[in-house]
Amino acid sequence: MSPFSDTAPIPTHPRARAVSSRLLGGSTERSWPEASAEERNRAELLPLRFPRTILRGDGRITVFRSDQNGLGARHLGIGMSISGLCLALFLFVRLLLQVDPTHLPILSIAAWIILLATAVIVNLAVHKLGSRLPLWLFLLALCVCAVVVAMDLAGTWGVAGAAPFATAAPAVGAFLLSIVTLRETGEITLATAALGLSMATVTGLQIREDALTLGPDILSISLAVAPPLIGASIVQAFRRMVQRELDLVLVQSTVSQPRFAVGMLASERLARLDLDAETLLDDVAQGRTGLPLSASTAATAASLATALRLHLIEGRTETWLHHAINESEFLGPVVDLNDPAGLAGLLSPHQRDGLLLMIWLLVGDTARAGASLTLKLGPIIASHGAEALRTLRFPIELTTTGVTRRRVDPETWQAIRDVGPHVDSNPAGSLRVDIECSVDNPADA
Amino acid sequence: MKRIFKERDRLLRRAVQAAGLTGSATAFACALVPGGLEANARFWSIVLILIMAAAQYLLGSTGALRWAVVIVLSGASIILVVGFASHVGVPANLIEESVIGMVATAPMCAVAAVLITSPRRVLFLLASFLFTLMCVAVVNAPDRLVLVVLTVSIWFSFTVASWWIAQSVPRVMHRIAAIGRAHRAERHASELEAQRRQDARLLHDTVLATLTLLAHSGVGVNPVALQKQAGDDARLLRQLRLGGQPIPRRSGDYSLQPTTAPTLGDTLDAVRQRFERMGLSVNWHGSGQVQLPNNVLTSFLLALSECLENVRRHSGVNRADVTITDDNTTVRAMVTDTGVGFDLGQVGSEKLGVAESIIARLRDVGGNARLFSSPGAGTTVVLEVPK
Repeated sequence: MSPFSDTAPIPTHPRARAVSSRLLGGSTERSWPEASAEERNRAELLPLRFPRTILRGDGRITVFRSDQNGLGARHLGIGMSISGLCLALFLFVRLLLQVDPTHLPILSIAAWIILLATAVIVNLAVHKLGSRLPLWLFLLALCVCAVVVAMDLAGTWGVAGAAPFATAAPAVGAFLLSIVTLRETGEITLATAALGLSMATVTGLQIREDALTLGPDILSISLAVAPPLIGASIVQAFRRMVQRELDLVLVQSTVSQPRFAVGMLASERLARLDLDAETLLDDVAQGRTGLPLSASTAATAASLATALRLHLIEGRTETWLHHAINESEFLGPVVDLNDPAGLAGLLSPHQRDGLLLMIWLLVGDTARAGASLTLKLGPIIASHGAEALRTLRFPIELTTTGVTRRRVDPETWQAIRDVGPHVDSNPAGSLRVDIECSVDNPADA
Repeated sequence: MKRIFKERDRLLRRAVQAAGLTGSATAFACALVPGGLEANARFWSIVLILIMAAAQYLLGSTGALRWAVVIVLSGASIILVVGFASHVGVPANLIEESVIGMVATAPMCAVAAVLITSPRRVLFLLASFLFTLMCVAVVNAPDRLVLVVLTVSIWFSFTVASWWIAQSVPRVMHRIAAIGRAHRAERHASELEAQRRQDARLLHDTVLATLTLLAHSGVGVNPVALQKQAGDDARLLRQLRLGGQPIPRRSGDYSLQPTTAPTLGDTLDAVRQRFERMGLSVNWHGSGQVQLPNNVLTSFLLALSECLENVRRHSGVNRADVTITDDNTTVRAMVTDTGVGFDLGQVGSEKLGVAESIIARLRDVGGNARLFSSPGAGTTVVLEVPK
C-alpha cells in the first residue's frame, strides 16, 4: 500500500464532474439561474485542485466525511478484528469443552457455522468495497446475527444450570467488535444493546431452580456486550481525535501566510462571483436571457455588481489568526479575537505556531466545559532608544471563562513561552494570561 | 512527536477506563446475587471492587503506574478472598466462579492498555498477567480450566487491541500531517488565485460596467451592442477562470497596457538582483535579448523566480546557474544547482504543490516544465515557453 493511498483525490459528486468538463471546454452549458450561487461548492469551482477539503455551507473548511471515518480506521479495524477473533476462539473452545458426544447441540453448531460464514463474507465484501460497510450489508449482517442468536439461544434452552451455555450468541458480540470501525458508534451500540437485551430476556425467562446459576449467565452476557461497547467507545475517541487533529493541521496552514491575507474564503467567494457574472453575461450574449432584462434578473445583476465591487476593493486586512479562528470548526464558536491593528500578522512563524497551539490546547482540553476565550492584541507599547527602532513590543491579553488553571495541559505553557514572556493569573476562577510580545519592526525589515 | 504520544496515551487511558469500569460494574452486579458469596467475603469483595474501580478511574485520568499496581493487587485480593474465604472447605459455587472469572478478566487486564508503551512496562504487564493467572489457578473451582482459558484469552485479546491502537495513532497522525502539508499548498494556491483575480482590475472594470448596464435592464442601450459586450466580457472571465491573465482590448481605458513588450534581458536582470539581495548568486548564461508576449513573459518570470526560490530554500547551496536558449519557436531556461537534490519518487506533497504551480503557470501560456533530480546530485529544472 502506498503511503498516500488514503490521501489520493477521490471523485467529487457528479455535478462537479459536469462542471469540470465545462471548464475544460466541454459542451454542456448551464443557463442562468438554474443553480443558485450558494449551491456551488469549492470542488465545482476549482475542480483541478487537490479536492481533499471543501468549504462547508457555513464557510468552515472540512474534510470529506468519508475520509474522516476512513482515516486510519482500516488499520484500527484489523486490530479490533484480531481481538474479536480471540474472543470468538475462547467461546468456541468453551463449546467444545461442554459438548456431549451422545447429544450434539445441532442448533448451536449450525449457529456457529452461519456466524462464521457471515463474518467471512462481510470481511471479504468490506475488502472488495474499499473498507466500507454499506448500510444494506450492515442490516443484512445484523439480520443474520439475529437468526444466529435465536438459534443458539433455542439450542441452549433448558433448565438453567443443566443446559449448556450459549456460545454463538456471545460470539455475535465479537463479530460486532470486528466491524466497529466500519459504522457509526451509535449503530454498533444499538446492535449490541439489542444483543444484550435478547440474551438477558432469555436468561430471565429460563426456569431457575437455583439463583446461583445466574452467575455464568451474567458472565456470558457481559462477554457478549462488553467488548463491542468498549470497542465503540475507543473508536469514538479515536475518531474525535482524528477530527480534531485534522482541524488543527488545516488551520495551522495559516501560520505561513503573509502579514495580511485574503484567506481561502474570500478567494472562494471572488471565484464564485466571477463565475456567476460569467454565467449571467454569457446568457445575455447567447440570447438565452432576452433584453431588456426582467426585473429579477436586473436585480441579480445589480447585487452581483455590488458584491464583486466590494470584493475587489477589499484589501488584505485580516491576519492569519483571524482566518485560522474563522475557518476552524473547533475554535470558531468559542474564540473571540480583538486585533484591530493586525498585530498578529507581525509575529514570527515560531510565535504564530505557539499562539495557535496555545489557543488550540486551551480550547481542546476544555471543549466540553463550555469554555470561551478572548484574545486582545495591542496596543503597541511606546519605547525609546535604539532598541525601539528594531523591535516592536505589544501585549497579548488572553482572558478565558471556564478554564481552570489546574486543568491546563503542561504543553500549553511551553506554547505560551514560545510567544513571549508571560504572567498568568486566575481571576474569578478562570485563567488569564498576559504575554508580552516583541517582534521585528516591519519598518526595519 | 510529543503530541502524537500524548494523544496515543490519552486514547489508551480511555481504553483503561472503558474496559476496567465495565468489568468492575459486572463483577459488582454478580457479587450481589443472593446466596452466592458468604456475607463477610461479599462485604470485602465489594469494598475491594470499589477500590479497584476508583483506581481504574484514576489510572484513566492520570496514567500513573501506582494505580495499575493498586488494580492488580485489589483484583488478586478479590480472587483470593472469593476463592478461599467464602464457604471455606467446599469447591467454589457458580457465583463464586463467575465473580472470579469477571474480576480476572476485563477489570484487571485493563492495565494492559497503559503497560504496552515501553519494554519495562511490558515486563510489569507480563508479571501482572502471570500473577493473575496464578491466583485463578490456585482456587479450588470445578471449572478451573474454563476460568484459566477465559483469563488467558481476554488478557491476550485486550492486550492485542491496545497494542494495535497504540500503533494506529502515530500512523494516522503522520497521514494527517501529510494532509496538512497538502492543505498548506492549497492555501498558498488559493492566496495566489485571489491575488490573480484581484489583479485583473481592467477586466473587472469592464465587467462591472456591463453589469451596471444590465442592472438597469439594459434600457437605453443598443441590445446588439450590449449582447456583444456581454459576450466579450464572458469570454474574458472564462479565460481568467482557466488561468489566463486576459486584458480587455477595447475601450479607451485600456491604454494602461504597455504598448511595447518588455524584453527578457532587462527583466532577467531584475530577477537576478533580487535573488542576489537574498543571498543567492545567480549566474546567467546565454542570449540576452528575447521578445516575449506580455502574459508569457509574466508567467515565465514567475516560474523562474519560483525555481530560484526553491533553490534558495531547499538546495543548501548559495549559487545557481541559469542558461537561457531560444530557437524559432521556444524560449528555454535551464535552472541548475549543485545542492542536496531529492528523490523524485519520494517528493513530499508540498513540494509537488510548488512544482504544480510552476508547471500549471507555464502550461497556461502553452509552455512546460521538467524536473530532474536525485539525492546528492543537485536539481535541474527546464522551463519552456513558446515565443
